[in-house]
Amino acid sequence: MRISRSNVSTEINKTGSWRFVRPGYDEKTAPCSNACPVGQDIARIEMLMGQGMFPAAWETILRENPFPAVCGRVCFHPCERVCNRGEMDSAVGIHHLERFVGDLAIERAYALPHPFYGDEAETDRRATGGKTVAIGGAGPAGLAAAYFLARLGHTCDIYEADSEPGGVLRWGIPWYRLPEDVLKAEISRIVDMGVKIYCQKPITRDFMARAREQYDAVFLGCGYGRSLPLWIPGEEKVLNGLAYLHDIRGGDNTCTGGRAAVIGGGNTAIDVARSLTRLGVEPILVYRRRRQDMPAFDHEVEMALAEGVQLMPLVAPVRIDGGDGGMVLTLQRMRTTRMETAGGRCRVEPDGDRTETLMVDQVYSAIGAEPGENWLFPPEHQPGQLRMSHCILWEHPDARLPVVFGGDLTTPVKSVTDAVASGKQAAMALDTRFRHGGKAIPERLGACRVGDGTALSMEIYLSGRRKTRNPAIVPFSALNTDYFAPAERQAPPVLSPETRCGSFEEVEGAYGRDAAVQEASRCFNCGICNDCDNCRLFCPEVAIYIDGTRCINLDYCKGCGICVVECPRNAMTLEEEAS
Amino acid sequence: MKEVVEGSHAVSEAVRLARVQVMSAYPITPQTHIVEALSEYCADGRMAARFICVESEHSAMAAVIGAASGGVRTFTATSSHGLALMHELLHWASAARLPIVMAEVNRALGPGWNIWMDQTDSLAQRDTGWIQLYCEDGQEVLDTTLLAFRLAESASLPVMVVLDAFFLSHTYEPVDIPDQASVDRFLPAFQPRIQLDTQDPFALSQMAPPGCYMEMRHDIEAGMRRIPEHYTAAEEAFASVFGRRYGMLEAYRCEDADIILAMAGTAVSTSRQVVDDLRERGEKVGVLKLRMFRPFPAALLASLAGDARKIAVLDRNFCFGVGGIFAQEIRAALYLMDSRPPVYSYIAGLGGRDVTPETIEEIYVRTKQSERPAPESVWIGLDPAACPVCRTD
Amino acid sequence: MIHSPLPQTDYMASGHVGCPGCGATVAMKFALRALGEKTMLVIPACCWAIIAGSHPQTSLKVPVLHTAFATAGAAASGLRAALDMRGDTETTVVAWAGDGGTFDIGFQALSGAVERNEDFIYVCYDNEAYMNTGVQRSSSTPFGTRTTTTPGTNWKHTRKKNIVEAFAAHRIPYAATASIAYPEDMIRKFQRARELKGGSRFLHVYATCPTGWRVPSDQCIKIARLAVKTRAFPLYEVTDGVRYTLNHDAEPPLPVRDYLSVQGRFKHLTDDDYGEIQAMVDEDWELLKRKVALAPEEARA
Repeated sequence: MRISRSNVSTEINKTGSWRFVRPGYDEKTAPCSNACPVGQDIARIEMLMGQGMFPAAWETILRENPFPAVCGRVCFHPCERVCNRGEMDSAVGIHHLERFVGDLAIERAYALPHPFYGDEAETDRRATGGKTVAIGGAGPAGLAAAYFLARLGHTCDIYEADSEPGGVLRWGIPWYRLPEDVLKAEISRIVDMGVKIYCQKPITRDFMARAREQYDAVFLGCGYGRSLPLWIPGEEKVLNGLAYLHDIRGGDNTCTGGRAAVIGGGNTAIDVARSLTRLGVEPILVYRRRRQDMPAFDHEVEMALAEGVQLMPLVAPVRIDGGDGGMVLTLQRMRTTRMETAGGRCRVEPDGDRTETLMVDQVYSAIGAEPGENWLFPPEHQPGQLRMSHCILWEHPDARLPVVFGGDLTTPVKSVTDAVASGKQAAMALDTRFRHGGKAIPERLGACRVGDGTALSMEIYLSGRRKTRNPAIVPFSALNTDYFAPAERQAPPVLSPETRCGSFEEVEGAYGRDAAVQEASRCFNCGICNDCDNCRLFCPEVAIYIDGTRCINLDYCKGCGICVVECPRNAMTLEEEAS
Repeated sequence: MKEVVEGSHAVSEAVRLARVQVMSAYPITPQTHIVEALSEYCADGRMAARFICVESEHSAMAAVIGAASGGVRTFTATSSHGLALMHELLHWASAARLPIVMAEVNRALGPGWNIWMDQTDSLAQRDTGWIQLYCEDGQEVLDTTLLAFRLAESASLPVMVVLDAFFLSHTYEPVDIPDQASVDRFLPAFQPRIQLDTQDPFALSQMAPPGCYMEMRHDIEAGMRRIPEHYTAAEEAFASVFGRRYGMLEAYRCEDADIILAMAGTAVSTSRQVVDDLRERGEKVGVLKLRMFRPFPAALLASLAGDARKIAVLDRNFCFGVGGIFAQEIRAALYLMDSRPPVYSYIAGLGGRDVTPETIEEIYVRTKQSERPAPESVWIGLDPAACPVCRTD
Repeated sequence: MIHSPLPQTDYMASGHVGCPGCGATVAMKFALRALGEKTMLVIPACCWAIIAGSHPQTSLKVPVLHTAFATAGAAASGLRAALDMRGDTETTVVAWAGDGGTFDIGFQALSGAVERNEDFIYVCYDNEAYMNTGVQRSSSTPFGTRTTTTPGTNWKHTRKKNIVEAFAAHRIPYAATASIAYPEDMIRKFQRARELKGGSRFLHVYATCPTGWRVPSDQCIKIARLAVKTRAFPLYEVTDGVRYTLNHDAEPPLPVRDYLSVQGRFKHLTDDDYGEIQAMVDEDWELLKRKVALAPEEARA
C-alpha cells in the first residue's frame, strides 16, 4: 500500500543551512578575576565550591596563588568591589570563601596534584633545563616567585634577613588578622616543593657580585622595611610603628597602659592602634585627611573604631615635646581643598594657624615605608631594563645576570596580593627569558593576561584549560539574571569588640561548610560554564550533545540563539556566519 | 436461527457476530436502533468491545479512525446529516486505508427536516473512496454487514452498508441469525495491516507533498479496481458457510428483457412483483438490482443489461442540475460499451414518499412509450397542490 | 557533567522544519522527555503537523497519528479504546494540538471527550493564533493582539478564552498550565499527568512563537518567563476541577507592559491599552487566588 506512513528520521534534513548566526561556547572573564591582582579564576573556584568540590576549588586557587589561607584573610579583596552580584544584592564573600578552602586544605593536608595545570609538558619541565634562581626576601613576593619558579621546574634558594620567613606576613600583620600557624602551613608547602629558605642571610652587594657563579638569575623582593621619617622636631621621641608590630610578633610587648598617638591613616597605623588596644593602651589615630580618605581598608577602620580606637582627622603633627612623664603632641589643624590627589583623596592644606595639643604617653609613626637599603631599589631608566606592571627585569651589568626587582619595590599597589602577583610575573618573565630569550617576554606574558588588567595567569602560561578564555569581561547586563534569585550574603562569625580588645585571638571566624557552599552558590560564575545544561535543555533543534564536553551540531543548529540567551552566565556567544 | 428482527437490529447482530472491538456513534442526527442495541451488547457483556458514545458524527468517524489506526476492528453507523457531517473524515478513513465498516441508513437531508427514506445522503459521498453496498431486505443487511468486514479488511478500504430508512431499518422481518462459530469461520479474528506500535514507531497519515500525493491516490484507485475480485472471493467464502450469495448486481428476469428497470434498495422487492405481473401480461421486462455502487461494476452491468432495448432507472435521490444519480452512473458506465441501450431517468420516492407498484408500472409504461429518453429526469408523482407556493416578493 | 534531575532522553529528532526558536518544539521536547517511549501522539492540523515531518519523514521517535483538524479529542479516544482492547494499558495516548485545534475547531470534540473522561492526556501548545497558516486570530489570541485577521486598529478587542477554566469546569481529574520557561515544573506536570491514568488530563502549555509574535528567536524562553512573571500566564494546577494550586507566585509581579512591549504584535498599544490589559491580568489573578484559597491546603495538588 502506498500510504502516508513514515519512519525516516528528519535527521536527513540538514537544517543548519538555515542559519545565519552561529552560537558557540565562549567562556569569558569575570570582573572579579580581572580585578584580582593575581587573576584567580574566581568564577570557577566558586562554582567548584558551590558543588562542594573543595579540593578542586583549592587547586584552582593554587594555580594562581600559593596563599589562599593568607590572602583570604589579608587581601583587600578588590574582587568583591566589582562583583556583578553586587548589582543584584551584595557581592559574593569571595575572601571568606578563599579563606575557608585555604584553611580546609591545611586541616585536611590537601596535596598538590601533578601535573597541575593540565599541561603534559609541565611534567618533564623539571627534568629538562631547570635553572637556579636566588631570591632575596622571604616575603609574599619572594615566596611566590619561588613557588611559581619551582612549578616551572627551576630550583630556588631564598635568602631572608629576618629569623623566620614570611616578611610582612610574619612580622607586619598582627596575629588577630593572620594567625601564625596559618602562615607557617602555607610557607611549609613551598618548602616541601624543594625551595630552600636561608634565614638571617640577607642578600648583600657581595652576594650579588658572586651570584653568577651559583645562580642563573636573582629576584629581589626585599620589601619596605624602613619607616619614613616625620621630619618634625622631637622626632627622636617617636616610636616606629612597623618595628612595634615586629616586636609584638616576636613576642615582645613593650607597652602596657596609658595613651598613645598613632600617626598615619594606612593599614599599618590601624594595625598599630588595634594592637595597642589589645595591650591596654588607649590609642588615638592622628590623620591629616578625613576618615574617607584613609588608605587603610574601610573594614579595618571600622573594626578599629569598634574596638575603641579614637580618630582625630584633619590634623598634622608639627612638633613633639616632653619626655618620659608624658608627651605633648602639637597638631596643625588642616582643611580640605577642592583638589584631589591622583588616588581620589582630597588634598588638604593648613587651616591658618590653628593648632591644638594632645597629651599622650607614646607616639607611634606609621606614615609609610621604604626599602631598607638603597641599592635594593631598581635604578631608573637604565638600559637593559624591562619594566612590567609588577616588576622590573634588569640585565644587571655588574652581576652579569638577569635581576628581577619585585614586591613592594615595584608593585603599583603595596598589598600582599600584588606582591604575590609580582612574584608570579617574575617567575613567568624569567622562565620565558630562560627558554626563549628576553625579547619574547612582552608578547608571551601579554598572552597570559586575565581580562584587560595587569593580572597574569600561570594556567594560561602553561596552556591549561583557561587558555581558551575570552579576555572580554562579563558586565552585569550580559547575565541572564532570571536564573538568579536574591540571597543574603553569608556572614562569618566575628568576635565582639569587647572580647577582641583583650587578646590577639583572630577576630574574624571562618564559614562553616554549609555557609561556604551557600555563599559560593550565590556566585553568578560570570562567563564560565557550570554545566547548568540550559543550552542543551532548551535547544529546539536537539542540536546540542555531550561528547566529553557540550558540542553544537551545526548540521542542525538554525542559529535561533536561545542557548546564548538562556546561558545564565554569558559563557556563549552568537556570531554572524562567515558567508 | 431465524428471528423476526428489525432491519437495524440485523446490522447490530452482524456487528456483534463480527466481534467488532471498538464502535463509536452519535445517537442522533438521526441515528437508528443500531447503536442502541450495540450499546446494550457492550453493557451486558455480549460483546467484548468498547462503545464510544461521542458528541457528533464527525467525532464518531474520528474515533473509529483513531481506533482502526490502533489496530482493532471498528464499526459506526449514521444517517443523512450525520453522514454529511462526517464527510471530511470519510476521505480521511479511505485515504488512510482503514477497514472501517459503517451502516448508513438512507435518509433525507434538510431543510425541510425529513427523516424518511432518500438516497441522496449516501450517493453524495460517492467520491470519498468508500465501498458502497445497498441492501434490499433484513437478511441481506445482516449478510452484507458480515461480508463488509471481510471485504474491507482484504482491500484495506472502508465499506458503507446502505439500507433504506424505515422500509428496512424499522421493518421487522424474519432473519436467519447465524451462530458465532459459523461467523468465526467466515470472518477470522482481525489481523491489522496498520497498527501504531511503540516498539516500531512511525507516523501515520501526515502531510504528503506533491511528490507523492498522486501516487497515494492512484494506489487507492488500484485498490478499488481489485474490489470485484475481493468481493467475489468473499462472497464465495460466505456462500460456502451460509449458502447465500448476492452478487455485485442482480439481474432478475433480464435475460430476454426489452426493458430493464434498474434501482437500489427496497424498491427492488416491489419491482420484482411488478415485473412478475408484467411478465404474466407478456411484457418483456426485468429488474437490475443495483447493489454495489462503489466501485461501480460497469462491465458487469454491460453484460447483464447491455442487450436490453431500454434501461429505466428509478432514482430515489437527485443531483440538482443534472438528474438521478444512478441514471448518470449507468449512462457513464455504458458509454464505452459496444452495446449502449438508452437510459431513461425517473425520480420517485424522495423524502420517504412511497414507491408503489403503480409507480413502477408507470415508469415501465412511460419508458415503453417513449422513443427516446427525455433530456431531463422525469419526476413521478409530483402533486403541485401538496405544497403551496410561498410568495417572496 | 549533567547535574539536572530532569529526564534526559529525547524523543524528538533534529532536522525538523520548525521555525528557528520555535517554542512549540521546546514544548514537545520537554513533554516527551517526561512521557517516555511508551507514548502515542495524536496530532491534528497545527504547526506540529508540519514539524512532525511530511511523508516519508518523522521527527518524533514515538508513534504519531495525524488526524483532521477538529478531531484530536475524538481520535485520541478511539486510539485509547483500541489500545485498551488490545490489552495495552501502559502506553499513554497524548493528543497534541495547537490553540486553534483546541480553543476553536477542536473544542467540541475535546469537550465531548473529556466529559466522557477519556483516559488520555490532551496537550494544547498555545501560540495564541493560527501560526502555521500565517498568523490568523484564534479564540486564544489575547486582547490587544494584531494578527493578519485583526489588523490595524481592528486589533483583537476581546479577551483570550480561558481554556483551563473551561476544562476544569468539566471536572476532569487534572488540568494544569505549564510554560517552556519552567522546564522542571512542566516536566513534573507531564509526569504527574502520565501517572494519573484512567481519566482526562488537560495541559495548557505556553509556547512562544517568535515568527508570529514578531520577536527575535533568541527571546523565546525569556518571553515565556515574562508571561509568568507578569502573571499574564499563571502556572497552576486544578485537580478534579475544583482544587487549585498555584505553582509560581510571581511575587512581586512585573508590570504586564514589560511582557507586551517587547513583542511586535503589541507594538501599537497605547498607555491606556496597557492599563486596560493590566486590569484584566489583575482581575484574573485575583480570581485565581480566590480559587486557590478555596481549596484547603492538604487537599491541594
